[in-house]
Amino acid sequence: MSVAHPDPAVVELRLSARAALIPTVRTVASDLAGRADFDLDAISDLRMAVDEACTTLVRMTTEDDALTCVFTVDEDSIGVAVSTRPAALGAKVNTDSFGWRVLQTLTDEVSVIGADGVEPTTVGIALVKRSGVAS
Amino acid sequence: MTTDRDAEYDHLAPLLAEYAALAEDDPRRERLRDQLVTGYLPVAQHIARRFNHRGEPLDDLVQVATVGLINAVDRYQPDRGSDFFSFAVPTISGEVRRHFRDQGWSMRVPRRLKDLHVSINAVVSEMSQGLGRAPRPSEIAARLDVPVSEVLEGLEAAQAYRSSSLDEMLSSEEGGATLGELLGEADAALVQVEYQQALKPLLAELPQRERTIVMLRFFGNMTQTQIADRVGISQMHVSRLLAQTLVKLRQRLDSG
Repeated sequence: MSVAHPDPAVVELRLSARAALIPTVRTVASDLAGRADFDLDAISDLRMAVDEACTTLVRMTTEDDALTCVFTVDEDSIGVAVSTRPAALGAKVNTDSFGWRVLQTLTDEVSVIGADGVEPTTVGIALVKRSGVAS
Repeated sequence: MTTDRDAEYDHLAPLLAEYAALAEDDPRRERLRDQLVTGYLPVAQHIARRFNHRGEPLDDLVQVATVGLINAVDRYQPDRGSDFFSFAVPTISGEVRRHFRDQGWSMRVPRRLKDLHVSINAVVSEMSQGLGRAPRPSEIAARLDVPVSEVLEGLEAAQAYRSSSLDEMLSSEEGGATLGELLGEADAALVQVEYQQALKPLLAELPQRERTIVMLRFFGNMTQTQIADRVGISQMHVSRLLAQTLVKLRQRLDSG
């Protein structure tokens, strides 16, 4: 962020896994990106990517479960890890879908959390968006 | 000002004087008014075009500018001494500005932020051309000479701005052929994905501009700023259309 600090800043949101709360997460994402001085394309991309990731996961869980979003704000990138408990244990995020294509296009890095079956009670998506000048 | 312009409208000046001198209920008023509005229409069109690419369809802007022109014709008083242009141009611009403030906002946003949004939108495309990428909030702030915090507020307010008309036509005339080539590449990329069978009919249902934007962004490897430039609308408009279209596609992909 603009305040010079060697360590990344962390913002963690924990919310009910409901579609109605996704706009809140989206707003936090674009606010962090704006304050980190990302260019307008990167701000908008991050906003849409977070929306896509949250929507995907909200559909894989139940409303009573929690959705956790951890934002890691570094000097020139923002990492977002969104995770929840899948309604069907061991469920995986479908990476052969238009939604995944959207995530890959909008971010610099994206990966599935809990894909290896080691932790069947967690499903999630981790993504990184860089501030824009390089990409 | 240029004598060319004066010459082009010279013949209208006596009509203006005649119109202003007529009584309210004079039967000749209507025809004279039509003649004046038609004669000065290029002025309204010119002003409307200056406000193009800010998220409102050009047709609407021309209509609003024409309303401004009619007001100017009605209110102009030649005996006050100023020439018609110096009265009409601010009247018409004022009407268009008011349109931007009052239309297109899906929720109540303070006027200060609406004005700020219009200012931001106005410099973004120009800055993008110079930078070769979208500007950062700090760069916009420096350009507009306002604090970064205000730019961030203005950008947030932009999220409350709805695109006004889905059937607004592609407003880029010269980009047509190039757009076709770019879509060719994107089409080729789409064919390679496994879910194209499910996606293709949904894309076909989209209005042409939305389909173009989605294809260029997700299969044509273009940024929002590059798309904005090609399609002839603002980056913020591309951003809104993309977000809305993704929601639409997601719902249809699910139900299908």
